[in-house]
Amino acid sequence: MYRFQNIFKQIDFALLLPVIFLIITGLFTVYSATHITQASSQNYFSRQLFYAVIGVVLIFAVTFVPYKVIFDLSYLLYGISLLLLILVLFIGIRGYGAERWLSLGTVKIQPSEFAKITTVLAVARYLSRNRRNINHISHLTVVFLMILIPFILIAKQPDLGTSLVFLALIIPMLYFAGISWFVLFVLVPPVITMVVSFNLYAYMGWILIITIILIFARQKLYLKILVFLQHILVGSLMPVLWNSLRDYQKQRILTFLQPEKDPRGAGYQIIQSKVAIGSGGVWGKGYLQGSQSQLNFLPAHHTDFIFSVLGEERGFIGIFIVLTAFLFLFLYMLYLSNQVKSSFSRLALIGFTTILFFHTLVNISMTIGLAPVTGLPLPFLSYGGSFLLTSCLLIGISMNFSRNRFQP
Amino acid sequence: MNYWDRSFRTKRLIIFSSFIIFSFTILVLGFFNLQVLQGEYYLQLSLHNVIRQVKLNPVRGLIYDSKNNLLVDNRPAFSAALIPAHTTKETVKKIADYFNIPVKNITYRLRSAPRFRPVIIARDIEKKKLIYLAENQYFLPGLDIILDSKRYYPKDVNSPHIFGYIGEVNQKEQERDPRYELGDMIGKAGLERYYDTDLRGTKGIRYIRVDASGKELGDFNPQLNEPPIHGSDLYLTLDYDLQKFAESLMEDKRGSLVAIDVRSGGILAMVSNPDYDIRLLSGKIDPEIWRTLLQDESHPLYGRSIQSAYPPGSTYKIVTAIAALQDEIITPAWEAYCPGYFRLGRRIIRCWKLDGHGWLDLYGAIKNSCNVYFSKLGLKIGLKTWSKYSKLLGFGKRTGIDLPNENPGLIPTIEYFNKIYGENGWTKGNLANLAIGQGELLTTPLQIAQFAMILANRGLYHRPHLVDHIYNYQTQKTIYFPVQSKYVVGVSSEVFDVVREGMHQVVNGGTGWLGKVPGIDMAGKTGTAQNPHGDPHAWFMAFAPYYHPEVAIAVMVENAGSGGGVAAPIGRKFLEMYFYHKLIPRPVIKKDSLQVEPAINPIQSVPLDSLSPLPILNQPGTE
Repeated sequence: MYRFQNIFKQIDFALLLPVIFLIITGLFTVYSATHITQASSQNYFSRQLFYAVIGVVLIFAVTFVPYKVIFDLSYLLYGISLLLLILVLFIGIRGYGAERWLSLGTVKIQPSEFAKITTVLAVARYLSRNRRNINHISHLTVVFLMILIPFILIAKQPDLGTSLVFLALIIPMLYFAGISWFVLFVLVPPVITMVVSFNLYAYMGWILIITIILIFARQKLYLKILVFLQHILVGSLMPVLWNSLRDYQKQRILTFLQPEKDPRGAGYQIIQSKVAIGSGGVWGKGYLQGSQSQLNFLPAHHTDFIFSVLGEERGFIGIFIVLTAFLFLFLYMLYLSNQVKSSFSRLALIGFTTILFFHTLVNISMTIGLAPVTGLPLPFLSYGGSFLLTSCLLIGISMNFSRNRFQP
Repeated sequence: MNYWDRSFRTKRLIIFSSFIIFSFTILVLGFFNLQVLQGEYYLQLSLHNVIRQVKLNPVRGLIYDSKNNLLVDNRPAFSAALIPAHTTKETVKKIADYFNIPVKNITYRLRSAPRFRPVIIARDIEKKKLIYLAENQYFLPGLDIILDSKRYYPKDVNSPHIFGYIGEVNQKEQERDPRYELGDMIGKAGLERYYDTDLRGTKGIRYIRVDASGKELGDFNPQLNEPPIHGSDLYLTLDYDLQKFAESLMEDKRGSLVAIDVRSGGILAMVSNPDYDIRLLSGKIDPEIWRTLLQDESHPLYGRSIQSAYPPGSTYKIVTAIAALQDEIITPAWEAYCPGYFRLGRRIIRCWKLDGHGWLDLYGAIKNSCNVYFSKLGLKIGLKTWSKYSKLLGFGKRTGIDLPNENPGLIPTIEYFNKIYGENGWTKGNLANLAIGQGELLTTPLQIAQFAMILANRGLYHRPHLVDHIYNYQTQKTIYFPVQSKYVVGVSSEVFDVVREGMHQVVNGGTGWLGKVPGIDMAGKTGTAQNPHGDPHAWFMAFAPYYHPEVAIAVMVENAGSGGGVAAPIGRKFLEMYFYHKLIPRPVIKKDSLQVEPAINPIQSVPLDSLSPLPILNQPGTE
């Protein structure tokens, strides 16, 4: 009895309960989204239920793995996932979208999902070494390589949406590893320069802002000049680079940025999603009553657009509750990252939060037309085994860190 | 500064948390806007109206000839379609009765289609039916009348084997190219198929609001609409006046005529007869008409210029001569005696001139097309060398013309013979046969025309093509296709000079004298190919002018008799039209002075099955 209580105490319910709530909400919504298409309805729901059960078991299992095992295995797991990513380029099966699967008998896995976790763990371990100063160029390069290699491998699949998750990891992880403002300043603004360089006035204004910041920055003069030159160079090269692209390449990038213009139907998806969500009103149409999603107006309503089904059937109140659950989860994970003693756990938690947050933000923004249609699933809610298990694994590791929060 | 300092960390934590809270606030505001502020608007949309995406069909690209004459145009056609989600059983029944289609057929098609996409039931409906349907649309929920287009061909334009036809996409084609959507009209044969991605254009999209019965209520948001983009226009190398004339030459014959501009590889004319009326397949493919065309004994669907392969007969002696000269097995002065026959083991190969040609050198042998000379030569060079030079000169592989379903022909090799007859199962007789263009050897008329181009340019040749350039409406640019030039590596210019001289003599007093155009110096070669299906096929290939060649032609008439007597005059008439734009009257010829190669079976032995040309059953468009 005592022993049981002990185990009970080691479970972080603040982490577990919102996740369980989200998974159950997801199961109900997947059932609602698919029960009307008779042929495969049974299939989708029961498969998702199966994965959900495995996912919860996984959470508990990982929670009680010795902390050291996770730390020790992190490099090895990273290596294995890179290997799988290379393998999938050659023997992968193409899915309905851009992603690729690896077929192991009857089970199909998506190595890109597991690579997210292993990359975070490996980077966290690398950065957590004592006296490893992230502002040092060699250490910074290693971190960049560790993130960019899986990024490139996945972008080559070509799963642009998933690969962007890796890019999103860079800034927060470096930020919490203690990167200086100036290095961050060197890294981030050039991206903005790339975008504004297409408009001369915006570009001039942006360069002016950069110059003012540089004048007031406390840095060596030659560094400031270098950064300034960097912006001028990026700004003047971008239009040239863009014009050297072939028409279809330009088209692909434009479609990614402006899906409304895509004649193949991304615009249509967003319109239908907005109608579905908007028509839900404050209280929603009721469970299994959503006419838009039920009548197949909405494509991919059990995967990428599951949130639209929720919005239609549960209304603004339902949306608000689910969003609150997500927000609570993320803020709690950040809080946890401040509580744990070891910097490995802390950085890994930051990385995990970033992954979940990025997925959530991009997916939900997409359903109301604030972000391009990328095919990023919503954590815990979207149908799909690989990503559900990844999310559960990630929560399991976080709970493990919470259990071992006093471990240095 | 200590980066692991707790207060420092907390500061960063607060910044990151604030960012997360900020993003969630925006999301909540977004949902508040959609669901609370605009909720009523969207509720109305979803209750009474639905938004439908209507695809607007683009205009299919037009086809012009080299003088910018319009050859293939479009005309509007109306299709009746049903939308599965909005239609009723009664409507389906009424429509089925009206068009005489089984109800089962329609319900099956509706069930297998996306619920909100119109499924086309009947294409190119008559005006009378169209008016009736439009008047009664109110009583037929789910019926949609779609503006489509069909191909229209100006008067005098036919050439179905070049243009091909369009038809509804089938499942296999959709799997091959996911851009094709159910009900799309795509090119099924000819240029329509080869250039389908250029011709089809880009579909436009219109978002409309419709009520529950599918009635249109107007645009949803005009800014989102996309206009369709006109498909690219094709500009051919074909000169349609010449093409028409060539078609008239081949009328009431079975065979093919191909003319190539030797300076670019552009096809000037390409005829295959018998053909069919291209208008029969212009709007929809009537199963009745399709069946008649398929079952027609003369195989009109089959483009003989590129899809049929035949033994080339004596035209192929030039290949044998090139092989022997280049490998220095003989010199042009090498002589052989022709007694009118050639004994090979128990077989006797007869020359077409029964009393023999006597002593002949290479020039004389080409000029008189002596079977005995070339059989002997074939035995001297051997099968391996013969196959090597055949392949070098473009035979046995596709020319790469911009038309689908090209036949590569067949060049027998040692391995091939070993497989068919077993090792040692074949004899020198087979080889002697091949050397004079008979036997298992198969070539398409286009390959022979390409060979004439190679001879005209002394080894330089260009990929035969029909399309010179296309005009793209999206980029508003004309796109020229580069001429793809190749060179016969390993045959010297001197060797070409020798055979060219031989061919020169063929039309100047040799077997091809009937192919000679007055006032134009030219070269050619006749052929009379035996086949087990009846009379021999008549061949003639030529290029002109001799010193600065412009055009190469190949003429083949199935089961018509001798090449010199039947095919060469057709070639001459075509070239006269090419050079003079009129026919040149000829003096009356006495019958017995006709010194042309008559039909003589080179090997009078058992007809082999493998001698027959490839079966004419490979239906175009069905693969």
